[in-house]
Amino acid sequence: MVLTQKLHETFKGTVERITGPRTVSAFKEKGVLSVSEFVIAGDNLVSKCPTWSWEAGEPKKRKPYLPPDKQFLVTRNVPCLRRAISVEEEYEAAGGEVLLDNDENDGWLATHGKPKETQPNEEETIPSMESLAINSEGPIRSISTYFGGAEEEDIPDMASYGDPDNLLDVDPATLQPTYFVAQEPEEDNILRTRTYDVSITYDKYYQTPRVWLTGYDESRMPLQPELVLEDVSQDHAHKTVTIEDHPHLPGKHASVHPCRHGAVMKKIIDVLMSRGVEPEVDKYLFLFLKFVASVIPTIEYDYTMDFDIGSSSH
Amino acid sequence: SDLGRGQGQILRFKLFDSQVDEGFWWRLSSLKLDVLGLDQSPVNVTGFFAPCSHPRVSQRLSLLAESLPEVSGEQSASSDPAHGNRNRCPVPGILYNTNTLESFHALDKKNLLKMEAEKILLDISSGKVEEECSSLLRFLVISFADLKKWTFHYWFAFPALVLNPPATLVSLQPASEVFSTEETDSLTTACNEWRSSSLTADVPFFLVSIANNSRATIRPLRDWKSCQGDGQKLLYGFYDPSHIMSNPGWPLRNFLAFICLRWKIEKVRFFCYREKHGMADLGSSLVGEASVSAPQDWTERRSAPQATGWEPNASGKLTCRTVNLKESMDPVSLAVAAA
Repeated sequence: MVLTQKLHETFKGTVERITGPRTVSAFKEKGVLSVSEFVIAGDNLVSKCPTWSWEAGEPKKRKPYLPPDKQFLVTRNVPCLRRAISVEEEYEAAGGEVLLDNDENDGWLATHGKPKETQPNEEETIPSMESLAINSEGPIRSISTYFGGAEEEDIPDMASYGDPDNLLDVDPATLQPTYFVAQEPEEDNILRTRTYDVSITYDKYYQTPRVWLTGYDESRMPLQPELVLEDVSQDHAHKTVTIEDHPHLPGKHASVHPCRHGAVMKKIIDVLMSRGVEPEVDKYLFLFLKFVASVIPTIEYDYTMDFDIGSSSH
Repeated sequence: SDLGRGQGQILRFKLFDSQVDEGFWWRLSSLKLDVLGLDQSPVNVTGFFAPCSHPRVSQRLSLLAESLPEVSGEQSASSDPAHGNRNRCPVPGILYNTNTLESFHALDKKNLLKMEAEKILLDISSGKVEEECSSLLRFLVISFADLKKWTFHYWFAFPALVLNPPATLVSLQPASEVFSTEETDSLTTACNEWRSSSLTADVPFFLVSIANNSRATIRPLRDWKSCQGDGQKLLYGFYDPSHIMSNPGWPLRNFLAFICLRWKIEKVRFFCYREKHGMADLGSSLVGEASVSAPQDWTERRSAPQATGWEPNASGKLTCRTVNLKESMDPVSLAVAAA
């Protein structure tokens, strides 16, 4: 499996070197994007949804066919309050319908794991939520970060160093977590949750965008990519979601493999066109993020619902 | 509604939350191996933050690869790619990276914090803050990079000048409840314009003036004098990383110190600017009034200011954090994983 993946990456690299980037639009015919269309669609995403921005990434990894300051798109610190895997279990327990309906009731995206509108605090089955509030009753459950968990003995116990610097002077103007947990309404509790940096790169081989996930655990430490799979719809975990080198950032990151992106996007475009909506290429990433939402249903980055996808012929 | 919430109480600020991207540790490792060697001199770093944009999660002060100078030495063609990025407001910081765990623990943390606080006080009295307001957010990181084990020990401090007596809260409410509908609309538009111009998008402190005709304008701090008079309302605004409705975030602390020291104002109406989906959201933004008095000995520079701001770790203890990146950085681990 890993070997075939490696062989494929090598093949893909060769093809990318010898073929020029797509410059002619095949957006409606194949659901793919040229490099310049990716930049147009990215500019539109950044202007309509300003939590997204363009970034340059590592200079050594810069792709010459993209503008130096528009190498990839990123939105940071996106909360993920619940594990996708537990949402799906609930769904199945409830005899789960797996079509995602939006307001217009046009369930054109078959998906697993639409988040239920429940208060996360009520769910006892979600592991991350147990360490939710910095609570005065009892110690906080230690949150195991993968990085570090395995070799805990190697890490010196920092507590044994004590506090020789006497930093513990109580400062009356620093908000102490226990203070507001005890006295303020529930909405003001500090919620401990996983967060994600979600990035979108251009995949020259598949001529589609590609989405990457960089996770942080409840204590803001890097989340090992394997644990990211808990936040991926189980249809996709271990299948279309793989862990690979990020094209613009150091380290391994989870990514939705783009091999089917073109076909899925083509399907979405066809459905829209059959309804008399003419999809516009600068809206490609809005559509793409709808599709991505079916893969990562509990990461709360998507608020593109409000935008028109294309010009309607009605 | 509850106008009097917190009346007369000590104003409490929510500390910044730090976050370090893996890319930062990658670049620090190369810097250490290829450039710094055993040199333990402090290194200038740039942290990044943004206004809160989600009702349940505060924004972090993040260190990314770009927080450190590039290792290769080749000056990047694009002079300052991060500038003007609304989601990455740069904040000046200083990094003390030691060669051993012992020297890491031996650092005089109290004094390091005090040194940074003095720089902030100097920038306040020299007027530098009016031109480069992010210097109010100056921060400090100490670290020990154990490159044999791919383990990094680190600890952030967000130095805040301690006012004595502390500022007290006169009122605190969601901005949308304080302003009229016209004022809310006008201020929302003004904030969105400020945030979409690359000249101002990453400027985290500003003045809000609301004229008698309900028209709101946002001005840089250096325009303070020309904002006086005319009977308009003047508020002191800042990008608030905190999402908590009951407390403003950390940047307000040094901002209040600045306002009372530099401009001699003792009743400060402040505006905690927050967003939703990347747009101004006056429902989650706060307007409050604080009562502040500048300590005499600061203005006369008789004594160094008291400072606070070391960040507790994940379990609330005042100690460092540790991250082990062996899985992703160690060539041996990577080879095993790939086999």
